[in-house]
Amino acid sequence: MLDLDIKYLKFKTYLNTYCPYCHQSFNVETKDKKQLVLKAVFKGQETDLILSPYLDVFEVESSIPIETNEVLDDILCPECHKSLISKEICCGECGSPVGHVIISALSRLIPFFICLKKGCEWHGLTKSDERKIKLKIPRQEMPEQDKTLRIHNHQEVPYGYTSELASLEAGRCLQCKAPKCVEGCPVDIDIPAFIKLMRENDFDGAAKKIKERNVLPAVCGRVCPQESQCEAKCILGIKDMPVAIGRLERFVADFERKMDLVKIPVIKNKTNKRIAVVGSGPGGLTVAADMALLGYSVTVFEALHELGGVLTYGIPEFRLPKSIVQFEINYLKELGVRFELNHVIGNILTVDELREHFDAVYIGVGAGLPVFMGVEGESLGNVFSSNEYLTRMNLMKAYRFPEYDTPMPKGNKVVIVGGGNVAMDCARTAIRTGSTEVTIVYRRSRHELPARLEEVHHAEEEGIKFKLLTSPVRYIGTDYNSLKAVECIKMELVEPDSSGRRRPVPIKDSNFIIECDSAIIAIGTGPNPIIFSTSPDLKRNKWGYIDANEKTMETSIPKVYAGGDIVTGSATVILAMGAGRAAANTMHKQLSKK
Amino acid sequence: MKEFGSVNDILEFAICQEQEAVEFYSDLASKMKIEAMRIVFNQFAQEEMGHKAKLLDIKEKGIYEVSSEIISDLKISDYLVKTPAANDMTYQEALVLAMNKEKSSFKLYLNLSERAPNAELKSLFLMLAQEESKHKLRFEIEYDDMVLKEN
Repeated sequence: MLDLDIKYLKFKTYLNTYCPYCHQSFNVETKDKKQLVLKAVFKGQETDLILSPYLDVFEVESSIPIETNEVLDDILCPECHKSLISKEICCGECGSPVGHVIISALSRLIPFFICLKKGCEWHGLTKSDERKIKLKIPRQEMPEQDKTLRIHNHQEVPYGYTSELASLEAGRCLQCKAPKCVEGCPVDIDIPAFIKLMRENDFDGAAKKIKERNVLPAVCGRVCPQESQCEAKCILGIKDMPVAIGRLERFVADFERKMDLVKIPVIKNKTNKRIAVVGSGPGGLTVAADMALLGYSVTVFEALHELGGVLTYGIPEFRLPKSIVQFEINYLKELGVRFELNHVIGNILTVDELREHFDAVYIGVGAGLPVFMGVEGESLGNVFSSNEYLTRMNLMKAYRFPEYDTPMPKGNKVVIVGGGNVAMDCARTAIRTGSTEVTIVYRRSRHELPARLEEVHHAEEEGIKFKLLTSPVRYIGTDYNSLKAVECIKMELVEPDSSGRRRPVPIKDSNFIIECDSAIIAIGTGPNPIIFSTSPDLKRNKWGYIDANEKTMETSIPKVYAGGDIVTGSATVILAMGAGRAAANTMHKQLSKK
Repeated sequence: MKEFGSVNDILEFAICQEQEAVEFYSDLASKMKIEAMRIVFNQFAQEEMGHKAKLLDIKEKGIYEVSSEIISDLKISDYLVKTPAANDMTYQEALVLAMNKEKSSFKLYLNLSERAPNAELKSLFLMLAQEESKHKLRFEIEYDDMVLKEN
C-alpha cells in the first residue's frame, strides 16, 4: 500500500488532477476548462462523472437525471461497486489509489476531488485556478429557526454553522498576504490565521487564536456589525460576497464552549496592584480580562443585579442568549476577576473613593439614558423608552410575569420609533410577546436604516411593518392619559447638504394617524448623569460624554480612564472592547513604571 | 409693530436683536452648572456676535445682496415642545432653544418683509430672514445628526 495521509483534508487540501504515481493526467481539456472524468455507476447504470475543478459543475454524461439537491450516495465505483463518496479511488491507468471523492449535497451540488498524498502540492492547477475555485464557492448561509415558529419563542434565531458549513466557508478565504480584514477589526484579531487553522480542522486552535485578541468571541460573532468592519474590507466582497468572518468566529467560539475546550491560562506574574472597573459591559469585561491576565487584581462594579451590561439588559435572548454572556463572564471569574453587583458608582461609592482604594479606575458605564424626540405627548402612559422596554423584557424577564415580578409592557398595536438595531430588537420582542401589529416608524428611507441588514430582514420576515419616510409629530392620549394613537407626518429626502447627507423634511399637510396602544422610542441613548453627580471634576463634552484621550483613554482625573459608549455615545460592542483594550494598555504601561 | 423708514433703521434694529441674543446666551453661559455647557452657550454668543459684525459691516459699507440660494428648512423645531432655559440644560435642550430662537427671528424678518414699504427694504428684510434661516439650519443639522441619529 502506498503511504497515504488519510487525514480528512477537505478544504484545506489541494485539488489533484493527475495521478501522482504514473503521472497520467486525469484532465480532459475542453477549451479552457479542465475536467476530471471518473467512471461510476449511478442508479444502476454505468456513467461518466465529469468533475470540474471549478467545483460548481457536476455532470453525469448519461441520460440519468440528477434531481436538484439529490443526495448522491449511490454513486458507485464500476469495479468494486463501493460508494465513491469518501472512498478511495484509483488511477484508471495504473490502478494506484490516489484520492477521495467527496460529494457534498448541501445547498447545491459541490463535488470535491481530494488528493490524500502526504505533502501533495497543487498538480495541474495554478494558484489562479485555486482563486477561481474559491470564488465559485458560495457564501454559506446559517441555518435558522423557521419564521413561523420563532415568533412564538425567545430562542436564538440562527443555529450557527455546522462544521461542514464552517469548513466550506473557511475554504473561501484567499489568505491574503496583506489582509485588509484585520484593518477592519477594532481589536486586531488575526483573522486569516484563525481561518487557516479552521481549514486544518483545528477549530480549537482557531478559537484560541481569536481569544488572543478578543475575550468575547461568541458575543462578537453574534452581534458585531461585521458587514461594516472586517467583512467590509474582505477582497472577496469586491466582486462577490465577503467571507462570513463573524459566522466563523461564532462557530469556533461555540465549538470551544460546547466541546469544553476552554483553558484557563496560568497567570505567572501577579502584582499587588488593584484595578477597579465600573460597568460590566463589553468594554469593562475587556479591561478586566486584559488586566487580570497581566497579573493585576481586578474588581468589576456593576450597577444592576446581573452582569453583562448592555449584553444582558439590552440585547434580547433571541439575538444573544444570556447563557453565552454568562459563560464568557465565567471565564473572567476563572481568571480571578471579582464582581460586585448592585453597586451604582456615583451613589453607593464615588469615583474618588475608588481612586483611594485602587491603583486605577476604568469607567465603562455605557450610555444608558433614554433620548426622546421632544414632541408632544411623550410622557403619556404606555409610551416607553427602548431602554425601559428592553430592560423590563430582557433583564427583568417581564414576558414571564407573574413568574417574574415585572409586569409586561404589552400592547396589541405597537409603534416603534427609530430604525437602528435597538428599534428592531424592540419590534421583534413585541411580536414575540403577543402584540398583534408592530410598526416601525422611521424618518428616512430604507437606504438610511442604521440597523444591520440581517436584523431588518429578520424583522420583515417576522411580520413587522415598516413605515419609512414617516415621523411622529404628536402622541395622542385618552382621557386617562394613556396612549391611543400617534400622529405622523410623511417625509421626503431633500438634496444632500455640504455633509453629503440627504435630510428628511416633512411634506406639508401629509399628517395621518396610526392607532396604537403602546409606543417605544428607540432613537438613541445618552449618558447617564449619576456617576457625574459626585464627580464634578470629570470633564465632559457638550453632549455630556466623558472627555477622554482617544488613544490612551485617560480622563481629566489622574488614574481614571474611560471608554466605550460613555465616551463616544452609543456605538458597537467591538468598539467598546477596542477602547477597553487601549485603556488596559495605558494602565499597564503607567502602573509598570512605578 | 415698529415702523421702519430706512435701510439704516432696519439694520439698527437687526443689530440690536443680535446684541440681545449675545447677551441672552452669555447670561445663560454664566449660569450653567457644567463647564461644557458654559462653553456651548459662550460659543452661541460668539456666533451671534459674528452675525452682528456682519450687519455692522453691511451698515458701514451699504452693500448687501439677497442670495438666490435656497436654505433648507428641516422643520424639526416645528414639532418640538419648547423647554424653558435652566441652569442644568442638556445640549439637546440648548439646541431646541437655539432653533426656536432663530425660527422666531426668521419669522419676524419674513413678516417685516411682507410689510415693507418699498422693494429695497423688502429685499433687506429677506436677506436678514435668509441669514436667520441659515443659523436655524446649522442647529437643525446638529439635532438631526446627533439626537435623531437612529431616527
